[in-house]
Amino acid sequence: MSENNLKLKFRELDLYYGDFKALEDIDLDIKSCAITAIIGPSGCGKSSALRCLNRMNDLVEGARVKGEVILDGENIYDKNYNVVELRKRVGMVFQKPNPFPKTIYDNVAYGPRLFGIKNKEVLEGIVEDSLKRAALWDEVKEKLKSSALSLSGGQQQRLCIARVLAVQPEVILLDEPCSALDPIATQRIEDLLSELKNTYTIVIVTHNMQQAARLSDYTAFFMIEEQGDPGKIVEFGETDAVFTRPEDERTERYITGRFG
Amino acid sequence: MRVDVETDNIATGRTDMESPQVEIAGDTCEAVDAGINGIIKESIEKHKRRTAFWDRAATIAIWSLAFIGMGILFFIIGTILWRGLAMAIQPGFIFGKPEAIKEGGGIGPMVVSSFYLAFLTVIIVLPIGVGAAIYMSEFAKEGWATRAARFGADSLATVPSVIFGIFGMVLFVIYFGLGWCLLAGALTLALLNLPTVMRTTEEALKAVPSSYREASMGLGATRWETVKRVVLPSAMPGITTGAVLTIGRAIGESAVVIFTVGIFIGWIPRTPLSPAAPMAANIWHWYTEGALKADAMAIANGEAALLLLVVLLLNVAARVLARFYQKRLGTVR
Repeated sequence: MSENNLKLKFRELDLYYGDFKALEDIDLDIKSCAITAIIGPSGCGKSSALRCLNRMNDLVEGARVKGEVILDGENIYDKNYNVVELRKRVGMVFQKPNPFPKTIYDNVAYGPRLFGIKNKEVLEGIVEDSLKRAALWDEVKEKLKSSALSLSGGQQQRLCIARVLAVQPEVILLDEPCSALDPIATQRIEDLLSELKNTYTIVIVTHNMQQAARLSDYTAFFMIEEQGDPGKIVEFGETDAVFTRPEDERTERYITGRFG
Repeated sequence: MRVDVETDNIATGRTDMESPQVEIAGDTCEAVDAGINGIIKESIEKHKRRTAFWDRAATIAIWSLAFIGMGILFFIIGTILWRGLAMAIQPGFIFGKPEAIKEGGGIGPMVVSSFYLAFLTVIIVLPIGVGAAIYMSEFAKEGWATRAARFGADSLATVPSVIFGIFGMVLFVIYFGLGWCLLAGALTLALLNLPTVMRTTEEALKAVPSSYREASMGLGATRWETVKRVVLPSAMPGITTGAVLTIGRAIGESAVVIFTVGIFIGWIPRTPLSPAAPMAANIWHWYTEGALKADAMAIANGEAALLLLVVLLLNVAARVLARFYQKRLGTVR
């Protein structure tokens, strides 16, 4: 991995929730236009690590970090760093589909409107384009004015992806995006992500080992030694290597399903 | 019992079965202890009989209590309407000029006073109450200050309205020199309703899933943009219900109004500083000081029936409005 196509870097990052140390000494390079998967047993801090990348942890009371997260050469935890701008560049899709209780159109137009785009034609263009890229357009083009809550779970999740795409992010973070979906909806999301990785840097947290193996180019395996210990990276590398010849015995035991 | 091998293979996903004969539970299981089994069966029977009795008894008791409660309610509503409805629906009564001593006359100024007062109360209490609730639920860090504010609001909500009435009279009517007027009443009613508006709004905001907030902030919205564009619209059903119920309480409240606004008026109040006489206080006036007027009781009954109808309509309106917002949000079809 050469240094110049690295989009995001964790550098000696520690994360605390109050007195509890959730992550310790995280060093991780995330390559642009590739899918990086974060796997590991429950409670190992993989979602927390993901939420460091767009500073969503700022919303948690008592959360603080030590160390750096570098996005395109800049430390996003720098005091003067603009968090709003960061979250526009680094979009996030959550575990449970969470469309707003608004129309399908208004959901996708939410971000652009936030940044002051009022022109109807421009908005319509963005909405159509985003829904097409999220592979949802054909299913919803007739009912853009219906409530987003009338869609199925899988459609809602693709709507959430469209909503993120509408603000033209550079990085998309996905926090177990398929854990609430059936296998067919999961398949569609995975196809979509494989499509999107040509344009975006994608980081996905997943519980599903097959998903990580199928989908990702790089895999990071997180683990905690014991309950109450901070999460650490045990192994990181190209997905093929991690899954076929893991260097660490714990990785092997986890991916072969012997614990976790 | 023998099961078809193929279906069993499909069901379990096993293809490498060694024996084609599949045994399923029943043939191979060890028999459970007959003695213990008998005891368990017997207690299950006993439990069934015992609970059946209590289940029926509780159902009857709960139904009767519900009927008693509803019965009392319908008796009161029925009596008020029986005595006053005929008068309450006559336009000449609703909009007419009152007669203080002579027989007849209407309650036009009282009707106007009631709605005027309710309107003033809502425009005072809503911004303050909703604003405070937004601050408490969306911005303030949970700590001793928010706990104190909540405790204060809850305590205030239990203070009898007559205390608010006297307080309002001393502060607004006398100390601030507003005199008996709509504004003094509205300010006092605003104080009376502030805790409820605050708490109902806060509950409505708290009920908004935090996933909406995360989604909005995740797209680069600030906290305020998130509140304005996602949280408040989602909480609208709850907030409007609280607001309409506040109007209802402002129209129905008598103790505060008697002390701060007035109980009888012969003309329509114009400005917020005009003296006025909302219906609830005016009913009290006819009952206590109506001796000079031969039909004072009939007027009071008609006014009571009208007041009841207005409050009932407002409660219906609160439900309709909440439903309208829920539909628009798509949370109900």
